[in-house]
Amino acid sequence: MKGAATLADLALLVPELILVGMALALILTARRIQKTPVAAVGTVLAALAAAVAAGWTLSEDAQTGFSGMITVDEYSQFFKVLIAATLALAALLAVRSIDRERIPRAEYHALLLLASTGMMLAVSALDLLTLYLGLELMTLCSYILVGIRVERPTSNEAAIKYFLLASFASALLLYGISLTYGVTGATDFAGIASALGEQGSNQLLSVAIGLVTVGIAFKIAAVPLHAWAPDAYQGASAPVAAFLAAGSKAAGLAALGRVGLVAFGSEADVLSAVLLGLAALSILVGSVVALSQTDMKRLLAYSSIAHAGYALLGLIAGTPEGVSATMTYAFFYVFMTLGAFGVVIALGERGETLDGYQGLAAQRPGTAAIMLLFLLSLTGIPPTAGFVAKFVVILSAVSAGHMALAVLAVACSVISAFIYMRVAVFMYMREPRDPAPSRFPMAVSAALGVAALVTLIGGISPGSLTLWAVSP
Amino acid sequence: MTGYPVLTATTFLPLAGAVLIVLIGSERLARWIALATTLATLAVSAPLYWYFNKGSSALQFVELREWIPSWNIAYSMGVDGISLPFIFLAALLSVLCVGASWTAIQTRVREFYAALLVAETAMIGLFATSNLFLFFVFWELMVIPMFLIIGVWGGPGRVYSSVKFLLFTLAGSVLMLVGMIAVYQAFGTLDFKALAGETIEPVFQAWLFVAFLAAFAVKVPMFPVHTWLPDAHTEAPTAGSVILAGVLLKMGAYGFLRISLPILPDAVQLFLMPMLVVSVVAIVYGAYVTLVQKDIKRLIAFSSVSHMGFVTLGIFTLNRSGVEGAILQMINHGIVSAALFLCVGMIYERTHTREIKDYGGVAKIAPVYSTLLALFCLAAAGFPGLNSFVGEFLIIGGAFKTQAWLGAAAVWGVALGTTYMVWLFYRVAMGEINPGLEGLKLELNLREVATLAPLALLAVCLGLYPESVLSYLRAPVAELLASGVAP
Repeated sequence: MKGAATLADLALLVPELILVGMALALILTARRIQKTPVAAVGTVLAALAAAVAAGWTLSEDAQTGFSGMITVDEYSQFFKVLIAATLALAALLAVRSIDRERIPRAEYHALLLLASTGMMLAVSALDLLTLYLGLELMTLCSYILVGIRVERPTSNEAAIKYFLLASFASALLLYGISLTYGVTGATDFAGIASALGEQGSNQLLSVAIGLVTVGIAFKIAAVPLHAWAPDAYQGASAPVAAFLAAGSKAAGLAALGRVGLVAFGSEADVLSAVLLGLAALSILVGSVVALSQTDMKRLLAYSSIAHAGYALLGLIAGTPEGVSATMTYAFFYVFMTLGAFGVVIALGERGETLDGYQGLAAQRPGTAAIMLLFLLSLTGIPPTAGFVAKFVVILSAVSAGHMALAVLAVACSVISAFIYMRVAVFMYMREPRDPAPSRFPMAVSAALGVAALVTLIGGISPGSLTLWAVSP
Repeated sequence: MTGYPVLTATTFLPLAGAVLIVLIGSERLARWIALATTLATLAVSAPLYWYFNKGSSALQFVELREWIPSWNIAYSMGVDGISLPFIFLAALLSVLCVGASWTAIQTRVREFYAALLVAETAMIGLFATSNLFLFFVFWELMVIPMFLIIGVWGGPGRVYSSVKFLLFTLAGSVLMLVGMIAVYQAFGTLDFKALAGETIEPVFQAWLFVAFLAAFAVKVPMFPVHTWLPDAHTEAPTAGSVILAGVLLKMGAYGFLRISLPILPDAVQLFLMPMLVVSVVAIVYGAYVTLVQKDIKRLIAFSSVSHMGFVTLGIFTLNRSGVEGAILQMINHGIVSAALFLCVGMIYERTHTREIKDYGGVAKIAPVYSTLLALFCLAAAGFPGLNSFVGEFLIIGGAFKTQAWLGAAAVWGVALGTTYMVWLFYRVAMGEINPGLEGLKLELNLREVATLAPLALLAVCLGLYPESVLSYLRAPVAELLASGVAP
């Protein structure tokens, strides 16, 4: 052991500590606040405080703590702000639906907070073990969140499936970490990189890199490690699905980006071959299978699989520019997917099937318009953020010389256009079937507004964000 | 020259109008706001024509602002003599579309006019920008309002048609996106003028040409990717058909002029013969298919395939006569096909049928309508003295200069064009009055005459004095052909 943690180390973890503190407070007072809005308000405030704390140090020099296991740099703070935003939006969007589905308020929010803590740890990890711990904290909370509707069999089934598959993936990740340690004698990224620089590549190392990549790729639901996502999203309550689709993906991409660039930078060939396969399969399978979905959460699950593939396009190049392209993608993806899920959540039961969207534009023109915006962004049509995101990652793939992959990516975006625009057809070109939805709670409207604003501004003024998307 | 950024104002004023319509929740006001916005757009664009220097081939009214500095992409606007007429066309047709929809659109009025105005912004912006990134943005921005206009306010088969339109156009434009990204990756700029100055490897040019061709060919539409057009035109509401035929089809041909010819000259030479052949096929095949149509709107839609075949033929003759004729033909087709769709829409509002066999003898009931219809049918047929004649004449002249058989085939297309247009007029307006039309009040009202009058005026004026457009084209076309693309 290199030395005990000091107060200076803890100062690096202020955002995480805020979230943990709030989670503990919620758990301790759970019984008293169950019928009050305290949990939601507390979570949103904690998320905002964490975002401010992370944003405060956004442009400062990188610092490391806990004997080099944790870092605070522009990369980690970028993702921490993003994760805090995901947390806040997931808490706001859930305001009505958790009551309808009889989800205990304090527990739901405490788990969201703890899962976000795990994500934040993962994005600032400088050591494979810290990374593992962060990702596992996130996943552990996610199992419970998926299964939190205890009286529903579908929810339980989803949680069990998710748990079994995720345990398997965690084992792969851990195995990869131990192999890496065996080859290099280190688990910290700098140590791995310097050991690799000295000894060069060997086959065992390739296996190790493959296993680590695949283990993390499970978290972002990249094909062929995607099988859990549709079931988990469908079985989970919609706000949980939204949180998983956005947060889990952002954290996983951040981890992959840092591991790939910092730890395994010298083995870029192996890494990019693995990522290339994952990206191409994810884009293809996600887009094609989504075609036949009529359940909105499943549809968005397959959409999120395809988007994981698009986001990976940036990492294939193995360059800082590529990583910052993926950062841009992750950022905009979070808001557009939370927005689309947000509309699903806001519409309640009706929002969960495709048929429920019939005639929505005639009943609620504003809601339909905002959903159209998110769908266009998911398709990647300007002037929305989704287009900018697609532009940067495809640019990165083309720069790396993967022209065929770029063509595959855009070809699949035509397929996905059919999927998303089918929802638009239902909203705009069919007669209403169900009675008009009731007014949305203020919190839900606010969350949708924020997501829409980011989606729109990101498309009109893309330069503002790319300044912040600085790779490690 | 002027105190305000003319191109930006012209481009984004309609968008502001759309926002206003959405914010003000009144259906009745929506029409008036749309009319005021489109008229105001036409008014703020006036300095463009007034202060334009026809002698120069350089971009004018240039606006350059930082937009995405980290990518070296600027917000750059600027027009030359090729783009200017299209801005006028788009602004004018938008006004007429509002007029044509005044009573025809009764459901979800606010959304309709908002979509129409967003489409206007996209159209004008596309012709006003001077870089590929914005070109692409406006190109895609156009798709969504059109998708909604066809799919929400269209005829019985509207959903199928709108989705087909969307998928065809997107399939083309994503390849353009890859092309654009490849260009950007290779040269670090997307400015049209800067790219025209680059020397690009012939093989790379060929790939890029194919990528952009995918987008442009679908929009024009060229044979054999034209199949979305008859469906979309037929099912769209009148205003949608007018925008589609009047402006949207020209976006593809404009892409050839703005991107393919100046930036990829070697590839143009490489693909010259296939492009010419496909154009001629579109002219002749399109004309034959037009002949057998039973639905008036479908007939006009298919005639567009034939007429746009003339445009691409003219562009790829790569001589002055052909290219100037092609641009003139684009404007003329924009005027005439828009007018024909307006005519069909106006009578459809009264009879609710588009089948030719349900008409006959309309001239006896509605003389003013029939006079205007005759004028536009003759104009479409290329009757001397009316606008299309000059364009087709120049194109055919250019075609004969390139290859005699191309010119001969194009002449055959003109002959067929005269046949189907005159035959259409004969079946609709002449002969005995169709019993189904008895008792209907078919004559136009003042609003409708006012909607058609500007187009009638333009058809006659451009026919008698084509120089009013050609004078704008001379300098930029000369520069385009001097830049190495001409054989």
